[in-house]
Amino acid sequence: MNNQYEKMIGMQLEPFTYKVELSKVRELALAIDKNQLSLQKKEDIPPTFPTVIDYWGSPYSIFDFLGLNLEKTLHGEQEFEYFGKIKVGDDITVHGEIEDTYSKSAMNFIVIKQRFVNQEGETVVIGRSTLIEKQ
Amino acid sequence: MHIGFHFEKIHKEEITHTQIVRYAGASGDFNPIHTVVPFGEKAGLGGVIVHGMMIMGFIGQAIDTWCASNDLVKFSTRFQTITRPGESITVSGLIVGETEHLWVCQAEAVNEHGEIKASAHFEVRK
Repeated sequence: MNNQYEKMIGMQLEPFTYKVELSKVRELALAIDKNQLSLQKKEDIPPTFPTVIDYWGSPYSIFDFLGLNLEKTLHGEQEFEYFGKIKVGDDITVHGEIEDTYSKSAMNFIVIKQRFVNQEGETVVIGRSTLIEKQ
Repeated sequence: MHIGFHFEKIHKEEITHTQIVRYAGASGDFNPIHTVVPFGEKAGLGGVIVHGMMIMGFIGQAIDTWCASNDLVKFSTRFQTITRPGESITVSGLIVGETEHLWVCQAEAVNEHGEIKASAHFEVRK
């Protein structure tokens, strides 16, 4: 099967920086559980918060960048490795790249790696998203 | 804590369309397959589907109640089947292995019929 994304392996995405605001942290916690705020300590950032940094911080859509069809693309897998802590007030810069792509069962799999680096230059999180495009 | 230890299950309230819209705003993922019913129908999904990352968020919330958030070193989730508004998710988890410094754990998000929505792997410091 033709996988037009193969030539994109290793391609670097334009870096962008996002400031972590308490209101966005609380908004995510409340969207996951509207009862959660009373339980939550101010400094607790949900482990899936990097997704907020990605969607709100990125100046471009990865779907547009790759030319993916929204109707045929699903999020197959997500991984986070935590090396440090993301804190409210941090300026997080995201370095993304197309890490891998492969095809199976008439579907294209695209793995996007993102390195989340704080203002001290410390890599705090590495994320990997696998998108699945149905043919 | 020991291998085979089951964490206390977390039962989530029924997912509403409003919660999906709220999650879209919070996360910034405005893909219309999650928020616009006619778009979901046109895509052959029979309506809107819940963001996979909301389900991973549920699992993350469970991990935060099971372990200290500072201790989480790795968390991955594979989305198995799509979830729709009206479904109710329960998250379960257990310890499946260990190294000198880490507990290796698995978690699952299932709906009220026991259908697996997402399976997760996570590692926490001892």
